[in-house]
Amino acid sequence: MKFSNEIKVGLTIISATVIFILGVRYFEDLPLFDSTYDLVAEFDNAGGLIGGNIVRVNGVSVGSVKDVYISDTSGKVMVEFHVDPSIPVTEGTYATIAGFDALGVVRMDLVLGPTDAPRIPEGGLVAAATGADLMADLSDKAPGMIEDVNAVVGQLNRVLAETNTLLSTPDSDFRQSLSAARGSVQQIEGLLAAERDRIATILANADSLTSGLNAALGDNGEAVADLIAQMEETMATLNDDLELFHETNSQLNELLEKLNEGEGTLGLLINDPSMYHRMDSTISGLNGLIADFQANPGRYLKEMKIVDMF
Amino acid sequence: MIVVKPTLDIILNPLESLGRFSRLLFHAFGAVSELSIYRKNLWEQMVKIGVDSLPIVTMAAGFSGAVTTVQTAYQLVTPLIPRSIIGAIVVPSMILELGAVVTGFILAGRVGARIAAELGTMRVTEQIDALESMGLNSIGYLIVPRVLAGIVMFPVLYVAACFVGIGGGMLIGDLGGFVPAEEFMKGAREFFQPFDPIFGVIKSLVFGFLITSISCFKGYYTQGGAEGVGRSTTQAAVASCVFLLLADLVLAATLL
Amino acid sequence: MISVSNVNKSFGDKHVLKDVSVDIPEGETIAIIGRSGSGKSVLMKHLIGLLSPDSGTVTVDGIDINAITYAELRRVRRNFGVLFQGGALFDSMNSFENVAFPLRTFSEMGEDEIANVVKRCLAMVELEDVGEKLPSELSGGMQKRVALARAVALQPRYIIYDEPTSGLDPETSNTIDELIRNLADQLNVTSIVVTHDMHSVLNIADRAAFIYEGRMHWTGTIDELHRSEDQILKAFVTANEYKIGLS
Repeated sequence: MKFSNEIKVGLTIISATVIFILGVRYFEDLPLFDSTYDLVAEFDNAGGLIGGNIVRVNGVSVGSVKDVYISDTSGKVMVEFHVDPSIPVTEGTYATIAGFDALGVVRMDLVLGPTDAPRIPEGGLVAAATGADLMADLSDKAPGMIEDVNAVVGQLNRVLAETNTLLSTPDSDFRQSLSAARGSVQQIEGLLAAERDRIATILANADSLTSGLNAALGDNGEAVADLIAQMEETMATLNDDLELFHETNSQLNELLEKLNEGEGTLGLLINDPSMYHRMDSTISGLNGLIADFQANPGRYLKEMKIVDMF
Repeated sequence: MIVVKPTLDIILNPLESLGRFSRLLFHAFGAVSELSIYRKNLWEQMVKIGVDSLPIVTMAAGFSGAVTTVQTAYQLVTPLIPRSIIGAIVVPSMILELGAVVTGFILAGRVGARIAAELGTMRVTEQIDALESMGLNSIGYLIVPRVLAGIVMFPVLYVAACFVGIGGGMLIGDLGGFVPAEEFMKGAREFFQPFDPIFGVIKSLVFGFLITSISCFKGYYTQGGAEGVGRSTTQAAVASCVFLLLADLVLAATLL
Repeated sequence: MISVSNVNKSFGDKHVLKDVSVDIPEGETIAIIGRSGSGKSVLMKHLIGLLSPDSGTVTVDGIDINAITYAELRRVRRNFGVLFQGGALFDSMNSFENVAFPLRTFSEMGEDEIANVVKRCLAMVELEDVGEKLPSELSGGMQKRVALARAVALQPRYIIYDEPTSGLDPETSNTIDELIRNLADQLNVTSIVVTHDMHSVLNIADRAAFIYEGRMHWTGTIDELHRSEDQILKAFVTANEYKIGLS
């Protein structure tokens, strides 16, 4: 049978049209004969998503991305996509972008909302969640982290600046405390310097005593009687020293009494409160020293240990 | 003067050709309104240009699809890349480039040469004068149906070429053990751009127009007997191919 | 009535028609004669607007065919039937379709009526039984006769014959001449015969126009042609008669 030209041409054109439409729908992951269900999602970051990428629900391919563009109004990324109309895309559904951009295999995953919720209408907006794109996450968070570090460094700077001003302001409490502390330490040093000779004598005596003891022990204890005699002598010397110490103290007391009564130039000095404070702190420092001496006499009188040996 | 003239001709001859070509097209489109007279001719040309070209076009497309698959598989030596990538390379190549260009080259030879020879012979045997003397618009009668048939049928041939080409690629991939058909298609679908086939159709429309109109132009203005017909035929095929490549580049640069 | 006045035409550097003027009155058969390359065919193409003059006018029934639109020109052309030198049959169509072509294109006739007209035209050129044959299957003379049938199918008022007898044997030439004369008598058409064959001019023409080197050298009736003492014309005519005498 011979076909007319019209029939041949018509058949060819129709077949080509059908192949074209079905082919495009096939490659677009659309059902070949059903209508489609178009939706939109709005993202901050498309993560390399392009038209033609697959849309999946629970790992099943159900449609594809039609177009990805930046919205003129919001500046966000709008993703137009279509899915199989049999998929219940209900309210509460959200979309994520997943996959490796570097390999070019990016897809969109839908997490469906509850099945009893109403369906999102054709062309409706599907909520977007941040995807599991690790690289994107990192890139996303990097600016935040830098901000945090910035804030800390800023605070540190502020603290240092405050400390600086504190130190450079002459009237600040901190500076006063520091100078007071320095004054006390100087006074204690002065006191210790004054008493150094005496303490040195004590220690020298103790030294000679020790060497004497050593000599005695070296002779297998034959001169213990001598030792005890020396000991008594030492104790007497020590007693003298302590009496002298006591005398010093009483003289100091006498001086203080006179000062309290306002006699002489020293009395005038007392009118200076800072001088008083210094004296006070000096005395309390001295008191501390004495208390220490009483509490730990061994520190000053090592010979006591030697006595203990016997 | 003697020195200047050939130099000028290099510039003037293409310009003159372009001018005559535009005038021919202008005339042709003036005759579109009388299409009812040429309808029979249109169907005939659609069969000659379109339907009759189907076997050679699909054969060439099938082979180019198969060859592209084999060569892509050959180049993909890294086991890291999934084999579905073959489909993702072959199918867009077919849709974007090979489908239209392979069809274009074949039609430049088959259709372009035939049109130029046909019209050239009609010109030298005074058949075109005979048409004119009867009161017919020879451009409308001879050129419009051919160009229209080219514009309509070329996309049809493009679709056929893509269909067979992709099928050929898939088949050889499966039979040759390069990539199973499902994976081939999975890769193709993964990377499918909806604009690609539209671009291909636009391209084939332009190619169809270029090949038929250039060949009509060359044939219609044939001069000088049998030798002139031969010259026109060669020029038609060559010019069609050259302008097809140019248009391919221009379209890709502007639309993609 | 076709009137050509002061037509000049050049192709490049070649001045083909030089100030050519000729009137072709209604109902007459005029022979445009001249040597090959003298510009006869170029003049013929000017008559139907296939070529347009560089200067001068061509009017058909008072219409300047170079001053009208293409659509109007085509309407004017429908008054013409043209028999081209090689017949110019459409080689994609068989004989019947060739003759039917102008009818199908321009007349309101149905297929049955067209078939009748085609049969009548083919019968007139004595080729009733070649309808199914393609032009390539016909001899040169038969092709010209089919082409003649096609030229007259729409009953034109003017018929132009371009070298109707060239390349044909004398017997076929006579048949064609007879056809031309019959058509002129029966259909009362104006015939323009472009030829260098004096034999057929003397057989069929009422008047002759002699083109020599692009100029209209001489015009007049056949009687006047016989009596003319113009040397160039006489040389052309005797050269032809010598050829006739030989054959």
